[in-house]
Amino acid sequence: MNSTDPSLRSPGSSQQRDCRNQKLVLLWSFLWALSFLAVAQGIKREWLSSGVVTFAAVAGSAILGIATVLAYRRFLEETDELRRKIEVEALAVAFGVGMVGGLSYWLLVISGAASETGYAYVFSATIFTHPICVLIGRRRYA
Amino acid sequence: MKNRLKVLRAERDWTQADLAQRLDVSRQTVNAIEKGKYDPSLPLAFRIAQVFGMAIEAIFDPTPNPDDRL
Repeated sequence: MNSTDPSLRSPGSSQQRDCRNQKLVLLWSFLWALSFLAVAQGIKREWLSSGVVTFAAVAGSAILGIATVLAYRRFLEETDELRRKIEVEALAVAFGVGMVGGLSYWLLVISGAASETGYAYVFSATIFTHPICVLIGRRRYA
Repeated sequence: MKNRLKVLRAERDWTQADLAQRLDVSRQTVNAIEKGKYDPSLPLAFRIAQVFGMAIEAIFDPTPNPDDRL
């Protein structure tokens, strides 16, 4: 391979960019999850003394959540087009699972057939659906 | 959609990784296009044509691949 070939892009630029963007998504996700758990514990154990402090803590966690969304959006914008297709297909399935599962479970709750504690399982199913669908998509296009 | 990517790449003695690097996409994308599992976007099709110095229609054939699924 001729390294002076003008059609040759910088070595591994696509992979390096994806890797950097994925690391940022993971970092922001981790910080958001950590802040979410801290605020949840703070509210549960009544560490957050006043309404203002609680509001500030929730707002801080929400800002980290927004940063995660923006980092993921940037990853989607800059990633390779096949990877983007796989990610978007996985998001569509995860969204469907969340909507259909969540609303179906809500009907069960209002009918008295299920308890509200089960929402955590529906939420977990939505979260785990995305990476599973990404793995399936990668295999499909391999 | 059928394409001649694999043949054109072989003629130039490029690996899938070499072509992926020239197109700034992943090797998986090149592999999926070659196997007819994925049809590239118009901008990527133009980049492919540019890299091979050919017209798009000389590389891609709109005839459906027999392996194409609905």
